Amino acid sequence: MGTPELRICHLYPELMNIYGDRGNVIALAQRCRWRGYGVRVTPVSLGDGLDPTEHDLYFIGGGQDREQILVCEDLAREKGDALRQAVEDGAALLSICGGFQLLGDHFLTYTGEDLPGISLFDAKTAGGDARFIGNVAVESGLEGVEGVLVGFENHSGRTYLGSGCRPLGGVIRGYGNNGEDGQEGCVYRNAIGTYLHGSLLPKNPRLADWLILRALRRRHDLDELPRLDDSLEEAAHRAALELTLREKRRRGVSP
Amino acid sequence: MAAGKAVTQLSRRLGAGAGSNFPGRVVLRLYPEAPEEMAASLAGGCVLVSGTNGKTTTSNLLAGMMRAGGMLPVHNRVGANLMTGITAALAQASDRKGIPRGDIGLFEVDEATLPAAVRRLRPRLVIVTNLFRDQLDRYGELESLARKMDAALKDLDGEAVVLLNADDPLVASLGRDCPARIYYYGIEYAGVAEAGLRHAADSKHCRECGSPLDFKANYFGHMGKYSCPGCGAARPPVDFAATHIELSGTRGSRVRLSTPRWQGELFLGLPGLYNVHNLLAASGCAQLLGLDREAVERGVEGYSTAFGRGERIPVGGRDLFLVLSKNPTGFNEVIRTLRGEGTGLPLLAALNDRIADGRDVSWIWDVDFEELAPLARYLVATGTRARDMALRMKYAGLHPSAIRVEPELKRALRAALEGADEGETVYALTTYTATLDLRRLLTRMKAAPGLWKEA
Repeated sequence: MGTPELRICHLYPELMNIYGDRGNVIALAQRCRWRGYGVRVTPVSLGDGLDPTEHDLYFIGGGQDREQILVCEDLAREKGDALRQAVEDGAALLSICGGFQLLGDHFLTYTGEDLPGISLFDAKTAGGDARFIGNVAVESGLEGVEGVLVGFENHSGRTYLGSGCRPLGGVIRGYGNNGEDGQEGCVYRNAIGTYLHGSLLPKNPRLADWLILRALRRRHDLDELPRLDDSLEEAAHRAALELTLREKRRRGVSP
Repeated sequence: MAAGKAVTQLSRRLGAGAGSNFPGRVVLRLYPEAPEEMAASLAGGCVLVSGTNGKTTTSNLLAGMMRAGGMLPVHNRVGANLMTGITAALAQASDRKGIPRGDIGLFEVDEATLPAAVRRLRPRLVIVTNLFRDQLDRYGELESLARKMDAALKDLDGEAVVLLNADDPLVASLGRDCPARIYYYGIEYAGVAEAGLRHAADSKHCRECGSPLDFKANYFGHMGKYSCPGCGAARPPVDFAATHIELSGTRGSRVRLSTPRWQGELFLGLPGLYNVHNLLAASGCAQLLGLDREAVERGVEGYSTAFGRGERIPVGGRDLFLVLSKNPTGFNEVIRTLRGEGTGLPLLAALNDRIADGRDVSWIWDVDFEELAPLARYLVATGTRARDMALRMKYAGLHPSAIRVEPELKRALRAALEGADEGETVYALTTYTATLDLRRLLTRMKAAPGLWKEA
């Protein structure tokens, strides 16, 4: 079996890349390299085929309206099925903002367009009139991550989860999925959806490792990952959290 | 002119370094018609410069050309580009009767303020430099911003003129249903093009039909020579072109200009291709205003750097090279410029997340710091988001032992200078408000001339 290798599939990198989301892929790749693991990042975009057995971890970021419509149409072809299959088979997945919205049941935009999702997550999104913008802090109970996640949200979509998935965490500061129920993000098997930009993973290294470990376990016998020196990551996390908690303008929605 | 008079006196009493929005806010509250009245008394009308990057540099270059050509511009100099800042600039340039002491208005205008500025100032010429995802947390998405700008241009008078950057597909698509005559500028020199688009490129799809654009040449960001394989839309032919460019690192560039009236070569003391665009915008506008070649050349020669946009300041026996880096494309161009400076460079990077910088610092992950890391000997990270900056450089491959976090600017500056050798250059890459902070600090240290240089 040899040295573990993480095979990342970066979906629509040139379309779904708003707000520095590619930092998540950089973080995943570097955290493998620093452990001596191999990494392969494969960009997969409009019209490309997707083999669900070829990758261990899928990433899709956020995009602007026009890009999101193009991607929605493309996912409705075979790619959506392949992605669902991969997640059912245990692949890890991280989707941010617009990517997250397209993996739910459907996305009803504010202007009235109904974009069908691929129903990987039991979630529905409707566009709202005001944008939710600002720093976010989320308390997550995800196994091995337990603690606060920090990020920045910027979305007008309001997402509501069904019973088929659970939230990534409860909002401490910020809006989260919809600004009403105190929930942020969504988890189904090893797949995560969230509104947190930031980039999310560099400042939340335990979540990065949660994804890496689950992705590698598909093909490698691993109990846990070797520890890395995360002092800079933790300092950045602490500073961002302090700053977020200090802000008075954000109303917290209690979970 | 009763309002103008009162406004001027009020504004004087409120006092203000340029760039302060406070007096403008008060004036607008008390005399909502003040900008209209004062602008209407400018004999030569108003020129507005809008777009994400290059507003200040373009305006300053243009102001120099105007003065060299005998015009007396009223100019908001230091990035105070909302209606409040423009009002304050008008008021401060006015005499006791409220008449502006100048014959032409030259205002840089925030992209989102353009509709209001066109409506109120009735400009004779509008320049749009480029549109990048600079502060989407303020503006929403580029497409909706472009729609607002289209509406603003549609509102222009029929005898007005618009000057657009043809190399930016989104900017070149502006001006639908605009009654004004549209001119274009752009780079016509393949020697500075790179192969393929960078991931930080923002506008890669045809605005008409949504197909991915085909880039035959790419200069930086999404600037280039493009066409749409879907609907056939293409980059418009340019009226003002740079036909040869020789980049010489942080010192500047030698540029050959081609215009409808003349062709000539000049040296621009500002680094990077993005400044060639600024030169094209300014010199094109100067000619559309009727200024001659000599005024353009003298304006460029006599140019003093827009503060913080690439200037060298001696401090503590070292040279501090100060350059504003506020969004992915701007930063990538700075990095490209630094590639000409060798390796083992001492770096100071200041990242702030104040409102004027954009509260969201996610954009640093779109910058190719992977290309900067191998050039750096060390990096001192500072600003309100110092640790985010440090983390970005760690993930870009700079060893943590070469990264130092000093959130407090003064300590950071000292650390960055102390790490450098006598006579060596320290490169300071700073976001907007961090540039202001650093200049203020240097002024206090008596190393730099006063921050608010009089026009």
